[in-house]
Amino acid sequence: MPVFSSVFARRTVTLLFLGVLALLLIVATAAWLTARTGSSTEEVIRERNLRMVGGVILTALLDAETGQRGFLLTGESRYLEPFTASLPSIREGLATLRGLYLQQDRPQERLAQLVAAVDVKLAELVETVDLAKSGRQDEALALVKTDRGRAAMDRIRMTLGGLIAETEGQVTERLAELNRASDLLLWVAGLGAMLIVLFAGGAAWIVVQYTAQLVAARHELQAANASLEERVAERTTSLTRANEEIQRFAYIVSHDLRSPLVNIMGFTSELEVGAESLRRYIGGDEQQAERAKLAALEDIPEAIRFIRASTGRMDALINAILKLSREGRRELNPEPIDLVKLFAATEASVKHQLDEANATLTVPDKAPIIVSDRLALEQIVNNVVDNAVKYLARDRPGRIAITVKPSPGRIAIAISDNGRGIAEQDRERIFELFRRAGTQDRPGEGIGLAHVRALARRLGGEISVRSELGRGSTFQIELPARLRASDSRTPSEVMK
Amino acid sequence: MNARPVSIVMIEDDEGHARLIERNIRRAGVNNEITSFRNGTDGLTYLLGADGSGEESAQRSMLILLDLNLPDMTGVDILVKVKANKHTKRSPVIILTTTDDEREIKRCYDLGANVYITKPVNYESFANAIQQLGLFLSVMQVPVTD
Repeated sequence: MPVFSSVFARRTVTLLFLGVLALLLIVATAAWLTARTGSSTEEVIRERNLRMVGGVILTALLDAETGQRGFLLTGESRYLEPFTASLPSIREGLATLRGLYLQQDRPQERLAQLVAAVDVKLAELVETVDLAKSGRQDEALALVKTDRGRAAMDRIRMTLGGLIAETEGQVTERLAELNRASDLLLWVAGLGAMLIVLFAGGAAWIVVQYTAQLVAARHELQAANASLEERVAERTTSLTRANEEIQRFAYIVSHDLRSPLVNIMGFTSELEVGAESLRRYIGGDEQQAERAKLAALEDIPEAIRFIRASTGRMDALINAILKLSREGRRELNPEPIDLVKLFAATEASVKHQLDEANATLTVPDKAPIIVSDRLALEQIVNNVVDNAVKYLARDRPGRIAITVKPSPGRIAIAISDNGRGIAEQDRERIFELFRRAGTQDRPGEGIGLAHVRALARRLGGEISVRSELGRGSTFQIELPARLRASDSRTPSEVMK
Repeated sequence: MNARPVSIVMIEDDEGHARLIERNIRRAGVNNEITSFRNGTDGLTYLLGADGSGEESAQRSMLILLDLNLPDMTGVDILVKVKANKHTKRSPVIILTTTDDEREIKRCYDLGANVYITKPVNYESFANAIQQLGLFLSVMQVPVTD
């Protein structure tokens, strides 16, 4: 979990950092572009000024020329007015232009040309006006006709035209530049916004995912807790059950072993009494004749018969107990078992009895694979099926069926018959050692089902019975689908 | 003894025990008829009839000696049925068994058992106990069932 959360933190922080970076990039680009726009705008303004000043100079020069022409034509000094008025404007305009040129650090060539042309034009104008003022009208006109002034004026026009065209181009270029800058700003802002959305989305996604993982982990933990509690409860139940089983077992064993012992001791005493009467008779006591005869013919043989039967019974009991305890110690060997094959083997082993009893056994043709101990499972199924065959009702043909029902992690095998059934009070008792139920018309020791239950529990399962007296019984064997070594219990474990 | 002879019904799965009990009862001078059954089913059939109604026991005068550990059912089952049946409920029931479990003894008395005797393993004690039971039986009043 700590590794996981640090990865989570690193990822989230990285994404947030990238988002901030994108934001900073947008801001920086915007600032840079704004600065560039500002300088471009300034340049546009300067170019405009330049153009305006150029226009002003041209207009002033035209005014000056108009005044000169009027004066030369009329000779009246009032026509000279525009000429005199425009001269300072021209000088002023040229000074401004020079200032602008200096500011802009432009090539001085055009300015020099302009200044030179203006100087020539002004000189021509002043000279003609001066000549006309002094009355030398013809000389003045001849000077005009030299075309010196016209040529200068043409040069001025050309130079200023070039300047205006140049500034026009500059303005257009600057405006295009402004447009490009605003476009770029739009693109950068759009891209940045997209990146921010992307990073924020990524971070949100990670957070959501992490939260989902946390929730899933919490659920898993809860489930684990629940199943742990369940397992503890299960274990406790099975331990309690095992404990009760042992107590019951000890009680039954002590009782059942005691019964033949009472017989052995009792009839040994009886034997003694009989032998005593024989001894007396043989010793010469004629009065003992009747008793001695009875002892020799009845009492003593009967006593010996009972002693022998009881010792035999005791031996059988001890053997049964030994067998059970050996079963309990046997190492279980879980392996995958095909239940269909196992049932088929069971069917084959009881075929003879089935035919004799006019009974049928149906087994499933499809069953899940169970991982369990083969020998134990075989013994369980065989024992229950044997019982079903053994205790069929005599008045109807026997029907025995095996069905398998899997549930998550468990497999339930049901063996049902239409036999004589088991009375309600006997349904637990039949699983006890040396106990049997119903009419005692069949040979048996009362060991089979006790053994089956012990085996089923060792395999981590349980066997139970549902029955209706006179109608039939169903033995349900519920086992784990997968026997794990820890699921099986040995009696010694239970004892601890 | 009573005018009407009391019959003793013994339900005891162990033939040897049944024989020893019978002998020791006889030694105590009780000569009443003893009917023995090897298992609970046969015993119940005799006591309550095949239909379980108990009609067959009407007008009988009997005393039941009952073992608890039978192969086909427990003696407690028989005790419950006998005490629940209107014909047999007054017949004295003597539990004679190897069990000396406190709870079992209490349970039997609760269910209406009249006497509870634990069979001693030691034969001297066993014979002694049965003979005393025989003496007890010889002075005991047994009602005729309805």
